Amino acid sequence: MSTIAIRSSFADETECARAIEELRAAGVGDFNTFSPIPSHKIEHAIGRPKSPVRWLVLAGGIAGVLTGLAITIGTTYEWRLNAGGKPLLSWPPFIVICFEMMVLLGGIFGFLGVLQLSGVPTTATAPGYDARFGEDRFGIVVRCDEEQAAGVESMLKESGAEEVSRCS
Amino acid sequence: MAAAPKIPVEPSYRDIDRSVLRVMEPAGLAYWAWIGFCFTLVAIAAALWVRQIYSGLGVTGLRQPVMWAIYITNFVFWVGIAHSGTLISAILFLFRTKWRTAVYRAAETMTIFAVATAGLYPLIHLGRVWFFYWLLPYPNQRYLQPDFRSPLVWDAFAVSTYLTTSALFWTMGLIPDLANAREAAAGWRKKFYTVLAMGWQGTDRQWRHYSMAYLLMAGLATPLVLSVHSVVSWDFAMAINPGWHSTIFAPYFVAGAIFSGVAMVITLLIPMRKLLGIEDLLTEWHFDNLAKVVLLTSLVVSYAYLTEAFMTWYAGDPMEQMTFHMRYFGPWGWMYWVMVLCNCVIPLLLFSPRIRVNMRALWIITIFVNIGMWFERFVIIAGSLTANLEPSQWAGYRPSITEIMITIGSFAWFLGLFSLFSRFLPIISMTELKEGIVWLRKAIKMDRVKAA
Repeated sequence: MSTIAIRSSFADETECARAIEELRAAGVGDFNTFSPIPSHKIEHAIGRPKSPVRWLVLAGGIAGVLTGLAITIGTTYEWRLNAGGKPLLSWPPFIVICFEMMVLLGGIFGFLGVLQLSGVPTTATAPGYDARFGEDRFGIVVRCDEEQAAGVESMLKESGAEEVSRCS
Repeated sequence: MAAAPKIPVEPSYRDIDRSVLRVMEPAGLAYWAWIGFCFTLVAIAAALWVRQIYSGLGVTGLRQPVMWAIYITNFVFWVGIAHSGTLISAILFLFRTKWRTAVYRAAETMTIFAVATAGLYPLIHLGRVWFFYWLLPYPNQRYLQPDFRSPLVWDAFAVSTYLTTSALFWTMGLIPDLANAREAAAGWRKKFYTVLAMGWQGTDRQWRHYSMAYLLMAGLATPLVLSVHSVVSWDFAMAINPGWHSTIFAPYFVAGAIFSGVAMVITLLIPMRKLLGIEDLLTEWHFDNLAKVVLLTSLVVSYAYLTEAFMTWYAGDPMEQMTFHMRYFGPWGWMYWVMVLCNCVIPLLLFSPRIRVNMRALWIITIFVNIGMWFERFVIIAGSLTANLEPSQWAGYRPSITEIMITIGSFAWFLGLFSLFSRFLPIISMTELKEGIVWLRKAIKMDRVKAA
């Protein structure tokens, strides 16, 4: 039995989110959505856990603090400069460096993390992608068996889809 | 460019895309003439810098004891300008401020180019610029390392972190918009935007990670922006020079930075909305709110000036009092009073709601703020150095043509880069305007009712 892709487009994010809820309730889980904006309604309807990118930012932040400490302590011991009798390890200024390194590596990890997790850069086009999904339409592309197709199509139409078509 | 068609009172997502993407269509001769003019000035400044590198800092007006003057003033001025961009893009994002969506991209872009301009000045200021990397720690055979107790080293870390993090935050916000530009463009432009959009398609998986990372990066950028100008202020406050050695410098500089930065955003946006035909998207409501930020920060800065004067009087240190007496009534006293006029008096006009939405008046007021804030930095930096703790050293300062032309060149560099950006990349975030479309519709309706 062959698998086919059904593309549907919605003018309204609420209707799109409702369609996703109905698909999930009917046990259809193999779908992909497209939207011109980040939509909390759609995210909530899909029900995936929070993005793990937050752990990457945390890891970057911790790595930044440790790098800051390593740089400041390491270089101070390498070049033991007595400045006005102040302690060799002067913590208040080191905090500034550790803070800056925390933000720097946290930001870099976050940025690279979002690229990696989102699958960009890529030259591949997701099945069913349409230029209007970046502009003003919300799209759901369902992959299902031939025999499920009619049911899925009617479910999408009932949820308020403007267009429902089969695509390669 | 043809006259902009009016956007409907109830714009759709598609109307927003069309209005923003229309700005990115090929530009006319006048635009390229302006770009050419800007970069000619940059070339003149660059030539003078090359001459300065070849001949040494003697070609500037820098003489003992005034070894920090216009170059460092420009550095602090441009870093300050940058701050409002991060305020609008990150801090107001965390506060879910409704009016930020239309202006944040332009403000954030201004941040990137302002920091890029500021970053040039410590290099220009160096006598031996080819040794700039001595400020950073790196392994070397003499085991010689920078002293982390020096605020100049903190500054190198703070400004480079600021530039990198702001650039990443800005790039991330651009990606979905570049995907829209990719779909609308043709020819070489399509290829250009296809590469920059990196294959973004707006899938739920992409948005889920994007939203989380955007929130966290805004969270990181918020304390960062406060730290950067605090660190810049400590370049001065950590020294024992009278006029510099003050504990209020960090909040005082941060408030001044936001004040001058938001004023610069308004200075850039008012002509830009007219020239690019995006008056429908940048409404009076946006400018009214920006003007309120200028007014508030003007009051904070005025308060800081008074506090500074009070602390000097109350502390009773004769050298400090002498420096302030010179600042107010000395040979450069006029600069202080120009600064007070521009930063404390003229912005009071913004208490009037009518002036806040009068584009011409607002533009002129913000130009005064920019002038006033440049003078503020000059008065603090060069002014304080003229009278240090050793009266036998006291001397004046006169800028040379090299310093003046490099300063003009840096303004041209900033404006040239900003102008290039505004026609090639989306100057207004389509994604965020769509997210806040309800508020945009209300603002457009208010504008139309008023016009009718």
